[in-house]
Amino acid sequence: MNETGRMSGWVAPTWASGICAGLHGSGCREVVYVPDNPLSHILRVLEQKYPDIRATLATREEEAVGIAAGLYLGGARPVLMMQSSGLGNTLNALGSLMVAYQIPAVLLISMRGDAGEWNSAQVPMGRAVVPILHSFGIQHVTIDCPEAAEELVLASAALAFGTRHPAACLLPRRLTAAGGRS
Amino acid sequence: MKRIEATRVITASLSDEPVVVSLGHPAYDLFAAGDRPLNFYTWGSMGLTTSLALGLALARPDRRIFALDGDGSLLMNLGSLATIGACAPPNLGIIVMDNGQYGTTGGQGTATAGKADLERAARALGIENASTVHDPATLEETLHRARRLPGPWIVIVKVGESVPTMKPPQDCVHIKHRFMAALGTREAGTSGTPLLQ
Repeated sequence: MNETGRMSGWVAPTWASGICAGLHGSGCREVVYVPDNPLSHILRVLEQKYPDIRATLATREEEAVGIAAGLYLGGARPVLMMQSSGLGNTLNALGSLMVAYQIPAVLLISMRGDAGEWNSAQVPMGRAVVPILHSFGIQHVTIDCPEAAEELVLASAALAFGTRHPAACLLPRRLTAAGGRS
Repeated sequence: MKRIEATRVITASLSDEPVVVSLGHPAYDLFAAGDRPLNFYTWGSMGLTTSLALGLALARPDRRIFALDGDGSLLMNLGSLATIGACAPPNLGIIVMDNGQYGTTGGQGTATAGKADLERAARALGIENASTVHDPATLEETLHRARRLPGPWIVIVKVGESVPTMKPPQDCVHIKHRFMAALGTREAGTSGTPLLQ
């Protein structure tokens, strides 16, 4: 799915449909993102099935955190969507804005550098994702089976918005590889 | 024109617009010139003032939103101007206090002290309604005109550094609650709910 052409004959992967159903069911109508291959499936499901969810493209993940925080202040339930490498670009904003001000968001993070990775440059940041989340006190779930996606997103959103703190859903390669290539 | 003078011109021109302000001296001056619940003071996340304001503008199309940024901060997140150019929220206005230095950290020079030009950068990134002002009267007139035009717009205010005299409240969660209450957005968990019988 590296080119638009490969989207022809596209069928929504179960995991992507589940995630979108979970987001919609949680009352999330705003997604701020920096793209990644697997996330294209989510964007496509949103576009086709959930036109009431707005997806806003940011130039950098740190910027996306700022936009999401502003959306929350304005009354929305924001979702941040990025590749694991992009989490590294968000750190000061996650700490000094979201955690310090108790501003929640659901973080959807497509993983690189985990099992199945071929690119060694992706591995250090991939390994660091969970320790970084722990260091900010951000809980995470790993969506490792497509059928659990909706429930895990619903649960993460309940945790985030109920307690006013970010919560993360990790999308490992072995989940997303079923519906696309990274 | 000193930054505090320019800040007073801005606060005098405000009605009910929420203002997101950059950490450090811009926030200190905004507090001194006119504290109000609709001021959102940042204490970290340098560079994200315009992004926060964009998120607010998207969530609240019924309100006109102002970002009050500094040159050093905006230079950290120029991509934000490209995103704002692309989203083109008509209810967003950006004011940049450009003193050509990192005032809060000791006055080290920024790129705008040299060749960098934020007005031209904003235009190049898709914000056509961009101007630079150097004196209080032009700033007042520009803000007066800008508020009647659809946004997004950006005004670069060339200022000299002034010594701040006050600090805003330091409790981040208090700042958020106060701001959201003034804006009329309610958070989950902040009011009671009936128990199901």
